[in-house]
Amino acid sequence: MDAEFMRVAYMIVVLSIYVNIGVSLYAALAKPNLVKKIIALTILGDSVNTFIILAGYKLWRPGLILQPPVLTTFSPSSEALKQFIERSVDPIPQALVLTAIVINLAVTVFLATIALHMYRHFGTVNMDEVGRVKRRAIREEMV
Amino acid sequence: MLAAELVFGMLAAAALASVIATVLAVESRDLLKAVVFSALQSVAYTLMYFLLMAPDIVLVYAAVAVGIYPLILILLIKKVGRYEG
Amino acid sequence: MLRSIAFAITLVVFIVLLAYATAVGALGPLPPPHLRRLAVCVLNTTYNPALLRLGFSADAPEGVTAVVWDYRGLDTVFETVVLYGAIIGTLALYRQVLKSEERRESHSSERAEALRGGLSTVVKVATAVIVIAIGAVGAATGLHGQLTPGGGFQAGSILAVIPVVLLVVFSRDFLIRSGVRYARMVLLRNVGLIGIGLTALGLAVVATLIGVRGFVLQNQPHDGSPIGYPKWVLDVPSGGSLLFFNVFEMLAVVAGFTIVFLVLSLREDAAREEIRGEERGC
Repeated sequence: MDAEFMRVAYMIVVLSIYVNIGVSLYAALAKPNLVKKIIALTILGDSVNTFIILAGYKLWRPGLILQPPVLTTFSPSSEALKQFIERSVDPIPQALVLTAIVINLAVTVFLATIALHMYRHFGTVNMDEVGRVKRRAIREEMV
Repeated sequence: MLAAELVFGMLAAAALASVIATVLAVESRDLLKAVVFSALQSVAYTLMYFLLMAPDIVLVYAAVAVGIYPLILILLIKKVGRYEG
Repeated sequence: MLRSIAFAITLVVFIVLLAYATAVGALGPLPPPHLRRLAVCVLNTTYNPALLRLGFSADAPEGVTAVVWDYRGLDTVFETVVLYGAIIGTLALYRQVLKSEERRESHSSERAEALRGGLSTVVKVATAVIVIAIGAVGAATGLHGQLTPGGGFQAGSILAVIPVVLLVVFSRDFLIRSGVRYARMVLLRNVGLIGIGLTALGLAVVATLIGVRGFVLQNQPHDGSPIGYPKWVLDVPSGGSLLFFNVFEMLAVVAGFTIVFLVLSLREDAAREEIRGEERGC
């Protein structure tokens, strides 16, 4: 009952992250409003980050308590270090996700400024309308 | 081993809540509601990061995805238009 | 309409394939029962006084901060450059408008008029108290990044809430008249980035001056070179260069976010001057 329940719960988490990635990718491609695209891109980036951290977790065994990768004494003995390695989760995915969050933030801020600039140029944020305006302008130029 | 089952149960509940919030955010025509649902999904993710033993990520993510993203998006929505289409 | 259906079908097929591959066992046994060898190696050498004498330890009790700034320090330096590039891109569109606005401000200074704008007095007093608390929490988080979960980015994100709250409660005019200007924020950001660069190159330069061998992005003394950053500050381990990296990163992130919020909250008529004559977008 223990191991089965944990495996089922873990599979539910993995599948729901896949569904999140799929739904946000669909919204980023198919919805014509720029602000909706920006929202969907932030959800996509965060879902992938969660999947990476999920890959660094460990299986619980009876009698084992997990801990984050932070040492809590300033003069560890050899026994304390061995226990620390036994119990701790993986620190490398967390460091990579920290970098990824900051880079996603920089790109989203830049996208928001460009969306504002496009609104001031075209008067609308709907990409279908912008395409129509450009096509008509190009046709007028060629005539 | 009640602690292990509790942690995994909460993880599954937070993941399902985030799926519901994502679908609602994508399907809503009022952009302000979409921003609020996206912030709700970020709160579910913050709970998941805490249960997965990643406290550094919790600090960054709580400030960024629940504080700064909705702020920038609301500033944008005010200038651009609230309803889609 | 056809486009939406095509995208939806493609993505449903994609999700089903991924789920089938995971269920069959493509990612290994889930959740994984043992740590990877690389993680065991990193955790072994993070804070190990026995190995420190031999020159193999990074000397910071916090595993994640040591990986971010010491084991993968070059990645983080380049990521700071990417953040800087994005902020420069945001500024480049409205540089003229920001400069002309500041020239106008420096001529007339009527603080009483600016104090009247914004929300009511109750909100202003409460905000003034809360802003000090946010500043204290942010500074504390940034300074103990090498001992407990915390660090430069975390502190910068927490402190970035302060200019936003001040922008909404007091008005933008008040913020600019009390000295939070575009040029000064760019100066702060540059100071933070120069600090990060100097800390990265610090030991190499000092080693060349003294005459021994030193490396770029080096933290503690080891086999190749005998000098290193100080190990203890007051009575807690200071992680060597991690403390300096965290403080400079915190400064750079706060200044960067203030610049972005100042640009995004520009008045519409002032910003439209920038693109006069191009409203049709062609």
